[in-house]
Amino acid sequence: MLNRNAEALFWIGRYFERAENHARLIDVHYHIQQTETHDAASSRWSRLVDAIGSRDEYTARHDDFSEEDVLSFLTLDLEHPNSIYACIYQARSNLRMLRQQLPSEMWDAASGFQLWLDEQTPANILEDPHDFYQRLKEQTATFLGIEQSTLWREKEWHLIESGRFLERAENTVRILKSTAVYCRGSDSSRWYPMLQAVLNSLSAYQAFRRRFADDMSPARLLEFLIADPTFPRSALFAFRELEEHLHGLAEDSAQRGQGHRIVLRQTGKIKSHLEYLDYEELDLNRVDPLLDRLIEWCDELGGAMRERYFRSEEIRV
Amino acid sequence: MSKTGTVPGLAPYPLGPGFDEMYAGPGEVRRHYEHAHRIFSAMGPEALKRKQRAMQRRMLEEGITFTLYGSDGAARERPLERTIPFDMIPRIIPGEEWRDLERGILQRMEALNRFVHDVYHEQRIVKDGLVPRRMILSNRYFRPEMAGFRVPGNTYIAASGIDLIRHSDGRYYVLEDNLRTPSGFSYLFKGRTLMNQLFPKLCFESAIRDVDASLNRFLSALRSLAPSRNPDPLIVLLTPGSYNSAYYEHAFLAQQMGIRLVEGRDLVADNHKIYLRTMRGMQQVDIIYRRLDDEYLDPLTFRPDSMLGVPGLMNAYRAGNVALANAPGTGVADDKAMYTYVPDMIRYYLGEEPLLRNVPTYVLSRPEEREFVLERLHEMVVKETSLSGGYGMLIGSESTPEERELFRGNILREPERYIAQPIMALSTAPVLAGSGAAPRHIDLRAFALAGANGQTHVIPGGLTRVAMHEGSLVVNSSQGGGVKDTWVVDEPGLPSIEKE
Repeated sequence: MLNRNAEALFWIGRYFERAENHARLIDVHYHIQQTETHDAASSRWSRLVDAIGSRDEYTARHDDFSEEDVLSFLTLDLEHPNSIYACIYQARSNLRMLRQQLPSEMWDAASGFQLWLDEQTPANILEDPHDFYQRLKEQTATFLGIEQSTLWREKEWHLIESGRFLERAENTVRILKSTAVYCRGSDSSRWYPMLQAVLNSLSAYQAFRRRFADDMSPARLLEFLIADPTFPRSALFAFRELEEHLHGLAEDSAQRGQGHRIVLRQTGKIKSHLEYLDYEELDLNRVDPLLDRLIEWCDELGGAMRERYFRSEEIRV
Repeated sequence: MSKTGTVPGLAPYPLGPGFDEMYAGPGEVRRHYEHAHRIFSAMGPEALKRKQRAMQRRMLEEGITFTLYGSDGAARERPLERTIPFDMIPRIIPGEEWRDLERGILQRMEALNRFVHDVYHEQRIVKDGLVPRRMILSNRYFRPEMAGFRVPGNTYIAASGIDLIRHSDGRYYVLEDNLRTPSGFSYLFKGRTLMNQLFPKLCFESAIRDVDASLNRFLSALRSLAPSRNPDPLIVLLTPGSYNSAYYEHAFLAQQMGIRLVEGRDLVADNHKIYLRTMRGMQQVDIIYRRLDDEYLDPLTFRPDSMLGVPGLMNAYRAGNVALANAPGTGVADDKAMYTYVPDMIRYYLGEEPLLRNVPTYVLSRPEEREFVLERLHEMVVKETSLSGGYGMLIGSESTPEERELFRGNILREPERYIAQPIMALSTAPVLAGSGAAPRHIDLRAFALAGANGQTHVIPGGLTRVAMHEGSLVVNSSQGGGVKDTWVVDEPGLPSIEKE
């Protein structure tokens, strides 16, 4: 397989995962119900932009944080490389390049998704935001389901899944980062709605209850979403999957170069760190170094994949 | 005050003699309704219909239904699965009004819990002559098996539903206490979720007291009742099964609280302990939140023909190895005749004046009260003391002479089975009907959740039930009633009253 094709596959996984995560984040942030005064309304929308890490790009384009501007920036703005539309657009471009090498159903699903997005306007979102983001999530789920049931378990599969789980780990950590900031900055009576919204956004509410019952605290939430071994959106779960797919890739590729070993070693180290976490690290007031380190590691891994693994000129964006 | 007359979405309706929750006078919107009124008025009938359809679709998709079993004689193959009519205009209660209600409910629940304890222990209230002994002994829900038993956490009534109405004088009155297995929680929580999804802007801009944390309080209350020191107690919700009309609610609560939903056949008693049959073997159960009436709990103690319960459950309970929420025998306090004594219980046990009013109630086993009522049946509501859900009820003003004669005969034959109350004017609130808003009668079921040693939480707002037919006073879902989301709204800028 060509290096650039490998990287394109890796990014298909990342882009779809990113689009899904953003839809989850928006949907739930949208519905957090907080007894805040009216003038705090705009901070809800800026918090959302911050959670996705695009404040500079936003402020370059908009003067204030209104509902309509924020939602269309995060969802439909093709100029904003992190918008859902841009993610799907990129993923589809990559798929077009590779469509002859993949099950045709995958192309159909991605293409149908983008055609649907082409027709959406901010008014469509505002009409019924919950319904809109629900449909978005269903379409990412459709793509994933088709991939799961049609794609052969060879390097194509491992590449897409590596991208997916690296992206997932990073997104989960970013959400936790903004949650920790929020909790430290607000009265503990305000925590509950926020923690519940975060759990809902990651479809983690029921799984959390099974593990921790009524112990809904920032430390428990951090513990669960960082280190739960069976919940599919926890950071630990994502790193375990990532490691597995990188192994799969190693077995499947002819040349097992030095770069590959470095990426695998790094992934294994992070995974081990999460498996043997000290609980003090999860304390709300002491968790930042861990979260920052995880975000850094994700960045480094992404870089290592690019430099050492795909070893060619950048093709994305 | 805002005046609107031109907008078809929410045109003012003519006011009746009762209290209207939204309008203080013709076209004059109460302050706490102004924002919602403005939003709904601006939407227009088409948009409202679209929202209503979306709401209906979601309720069907999510299976938010209850089951109606036919009693009409027609051989109905399949019981009807219905979505409950959900009206989208919220019922809004100002924060300060709610504070008074909340205090009143906490007071009432404390007294009722003490009363149940007293009934099954010293019976001081009987010895002191406040409540007649026969009222307890002849009570259908009195459980002699509970005598002398100290219940876990000293909490008999873990979950209760207090039904309140607002009379034409603008005051709230308690209509009845539901202290056995009250239902309606799921409509409350789900209703709020649906409203948040359908009207995000309106919900955002109103300072509504959060109800989601109440589910956590519910779970904490149940956990606190664990008789063992197990730090991670096993809680199950015991349901009669998927054919029960409230099965959706059972599944919802189990899912949201992360507790196991079980039927009697999933549990087994052994050596005075209750175990759950699981793939990993028998697991001991610490707390049973049961949605099964007393008499079905244990065929060895109660109804021997019950297939729904667990043989040996009461022995395990009395051995102190499992908690039951609510405790068996709480029904002795929610009987419609015992209701008349609740204000006295509050004075007797707490030495306080009741904060919530009772509806004047005539006990028909008392000859002079019976005579008084029989002379004016057409202006009375007559209820069977031990029935609920709107069954066995005569509303005088809406009855035919034949129906009144039937009740007169029944009352004379078994007077102790009946009570009567003057017909109270239920307040009205706007519902979306046809092409606009129309007034419908409503009540409020407030829920209190008590953990060990009287730690009690009242869910902010509760469930507003609506008589969906024009003029009707019956709000029970089994009788075609609907529901509304209920908001406790604090004035912007004012600090919220409840602090964790």
